[in-house]
Amino acid sequence: MAEDVTTQVPGNVWKVLVKPGDKVNPGDVLFILEVMKTEVAHEATQAGTVKAVNIEEGQEGVDAGTVAVIID
Amino acid sequence: MIEVIKPGLETSIQDYPGRIGYWAQGFPPSGPMDSWSFRLANLLVGNSADAAGLECQFVGPALKFRDATVIAVCGADMKPTLEGQSVPMWESVAVGAGQTLALSFATVGARAYIAVAGGIDTPSWLGSRSTFHKAGVGGMEGHALKAGQVLPVGTGDGTPGRKAKAEARPLFATEKIWHVEVVAGPNDDWVDEAGHQRFLSSDWKLSAKSDRTGFRLEGPQWTFTAKATNKAPEHGSEPSNIIDQGYPLGAINLAGQTPIILVNDGPSMGGFINPYTVPSAAFWKLGQARPAEILRFKAVSAEEAQALRREIDRACSQRNIT
Repeated sequence: MAEDVTTQVPGNVWKVLVKPGDKVNPGDVLFILEVMKTEVAHEATQAGTVKAVNIEEGQEGVDAGTVAVIID
Repeated sequence: MIEVIKPGLETSIQDYPGRIGYWAQGFPPSGPMDSWSFRLANLLVGNSADAAGLECQFVGPALKFRDATVIAVCGADMKPTLEGQSVPMWESVAVGAGQTLALSFATVGARAYIAVAGGIDTPSWLGSRSTFHKAGVGGMEGHALKAGQVLPVGTGDGTPGRKAKAEARPLFATEKIWHVEVVAGPNDDWVDEAGHQRFLSSDWKLSAKSDRTGFRLEGPQWTFTAKATNKAPEHGSEPSNIIDQGYPLGAINLAGQTPIILVNDGPSMGGFINPYTVPSAAFWKLGQARPAEILRFKAVSAEEAQALRREIDRACSQRNIT
């Protein structure tokens, strides 16, 4: 089952830790956003393979609710 | 008692108007960034004006209520649910013993406020329960909520089903542009005429590097008068440097070329100029602005700023709760 991992906060993209083709497990941190000088880690909730990454490190002004990573 | 299941991004106990009277000793007032929404939430659950509630920033908490009570959620819409069922905002809601209130993340606005009948009853410090995490005082052990903590609640008698009139609520900038009032000074004479024009006519983008200490803005360059460029060396080398001075709350503090609006948890003094000050009546807008949203500034007189504040005070009254 595919999982769309959406951003939970608006902010800047601090780190992207996965790339297409990577295998991930529930709890793996996929990417980290920065808001309020705080790192907000976003994790996978299910196991699968990263199909797409729609954000990049250093990207600014990403809004909450953006589909950032797609896991298949 | 309320059990913290999930703390949210940075959820803290705040009260209004916060820790007043210690600015001269370096303690900021803290308190809710959007005190308008916060005060309406307290009114809805029948609390006294000084009762403490929760400020939820961007991502809200999940809270389990051990006892039946009445709550209200105001401010940014974080899609609150009770036992998985959607609950209305700007309205008092009955919560049964053992039920869990869960907030998601905000897509419009930035901060939601949860009031509980009786108020959060953590110890008061220097006259306020507000959290000031930099000093580790107030709130729950001086910091944002953590999973597993249990929050004490005072005795209250809220009534469910009370609503805040739509016209009494703050209107959020859904088009992502906020019109924010500013009062000139205290150091407006350090900026030249072109600098003032540029400040008041430009779009200022709110940086993600903003928090309850300061709101960092991105925009055009500043230009200065001789006061800034031809001054005694003890002021410092940058045009925006000045011999350390007291800062007003809401100061638009010019650090080099970067303006930072000093807000509820901000510093009381330092060595940069403050060409403008955001009046307290406009703080709620800062509290609800999201990173990358645009701030446009409008100069008002101190009297106009005070009149705006009185308008908000009038909105936050029982006659707007039905």
